[in-house]
Amino acid sequence: MTSLDTWHAATVLLGGIGTLAIFSFLIRENPFFRLFEHLFIGIAAGFGLVLGIKNFLWPKVLVPMLGLDIVTYPDGSLSHEYDPRLLLYLLPMLFGLLYYFIYSQRYGWLAKLVIGFSLGMSGGLAFKGFFNQIMPQVASSFRPLAVFTDGVLAWGPSLENAFFIFTLLAVMYYFFFSFRHGNRAANGFSLSGRWLLMVCFGAFFGSTVMARTALLVERVQFLLIDWYGTVVNLVT
Amino acid sequence: MNPARLDRRWIYLLVFLALSVPIVTQYTVQPARMNDAERFFEVVEGIQAAPGRYAFVAMDFGPSTKGENQPQARAVVEHLMRKRIPVILFSLYYLAEPFLKSVPEEVARQLEREHPGETWEYGRDWINLGYRPGAGVLIQAIPKSENLAELFEKDARGNRISELPAFSGLRTLRQIAFLAEFTGLVGVFDNYVQYFTSKDYTPAFGHGCTSITIPEAFIYLDSGQIQGLLGGLAGAAWYSEMLRQRYPERPVDESLMLNTGLGVAQLVVIAFIVLGNLAGLLRPPRRRRHGAGLDVEP
Repeated sequence: MTSLDTWHAATVLLGGIGTLAIFSFLIRENPFFRLFEHLFIGIAAGFGLVLGIKNFLWPKVLVPMLGLDIVTYPDGSLSHEYDPRLLLYLLPMLFGLLYYFIYSQRYGWLAKLVIGFSLGMSGGLAFKGFFNQIMPQVASSFRPLAVFTDGVLAWGPSLENAFFIFTLLAVMYYFFFSFRHGNRAANGFSLSGRWLLMVCFGAFFGSTVMARTALLVERVQFLLIDWYGTVVNLVT
Repeated sequence: MNPARLDRRWIYLLVFLALSVPIVTQYTVQPARMNDAERFFEVVEGIQAAPGRYAFVAMDFGPSTKGENQPQARAVVEHLMRKRIPVILFSLYYLAEPFLKSVPEEVARQLEREHPGETWEYGRDWINLGYRPGAGVLIQAIPKSENLAELFEKDARGNRISELPAFSGLRTLRQIAFLAEFTGLVGVFDNYVQYFTSKDYTPAFGHGCTSITIPEAFIYLDSGQIQGLLGGLAGAAWYSEMLRQRYPERPVDESLMLNTGLGVAQLVVIAFIVLGNLAGLLRPPRRRRHGAGLDVEP
């Protein structure tokens, strides 16, 4: 067995034990489950931090700023000159570090500068993104109630569009709280919006059950094929 | 045993046993036809390989949605690699890092087994840009860039992209013929819808989502913001089946088996819902006052 195979077998074994530990919660709360739950949270948080440093902070910021990407050739010449403007990276880094003043009562206002900047930037980005995301959907909701194909009324698409527009208006009307829904027709229209929402929530619920079951299927496959196979290999 | 006071652990055990049967016996059934997955397939099928034309595949999923997103990503990457369209793999989600490496490597090995004498190589058929922090800010930079090879600079292995023969010519968004994105995170998907576009060009966009987000993803399909949709494991299974029809030499992959297991487990869940409601309805009216459902022991 090569070292690569051993490493693979070890990861599969540990993965199986971790999966069983998490599933043990289905029987009852237990220390085995707690241990692996905390392990998972810790590993996920640490993994993100390390990757952030490895993939971004170190190669994109620190290496060029510290001039570590400059290669000295045998004849003494350099691959490129150090650009002192790279030191400007320190400004946003120091500004970001002000966030840690959130722990100080006296200088807490400095953290608010960073929070304000982040909120402003996020707001600006979201504003542009909102239009790119929503406007095509608004435009696609303007549909003809009568669809003609080769001059002949196409009943299927026409009914589909009519139902779409009825649903859209009924649901929007259900959430219209500016004044009381006065008459029976308005109340009925609002109620139909509520029922259509219930159908939508039912679809969401069904999808959620399906998604969770799909994840379970993958784990069971891992346990029954990969993990069990590795255990049998090791035992025999 | 009183069925009206069923211990929920019996339900777990039955679901586990039911979905284990197709996995242990490797039994598969024909997946249901999915129109949205077919549209996705047709978009990829319509891309012609040409120098300087790429597919951008964003795998924004981690272990928590691997069960659904990985078979989707694997099938689409396989399709692209079969067509010899250079694939750029990328992620905004840090837990995707291992899949960015393993998925194309597994596909390449499978294709090489299928086609002895032919090779699929890193740097020629695919590159892995790795996890990139920055979310929307980074995605916004892509359509604005005049030199994407310089923007991304290095791949996950530390190679300069400008030195990889098949990808050194990567310059602008216009060279990306197709964008595929796989995630269970709605916020991450939104970044691509919002920013992976320029004033005069938007690449064809296919999205693979988890079953939970299918109802939401339909909105984007309906508005034409995405051209194809793989909904959960069922979408992956149908895409895989279409690949098998298009390439008959292709072996049956695990998505069909997982989809069969999912179907069986769903039937068990439905059976319990029906039984629970029947038990509730058959209860004496006095006891039904506070809810008609089955009492399940916590």
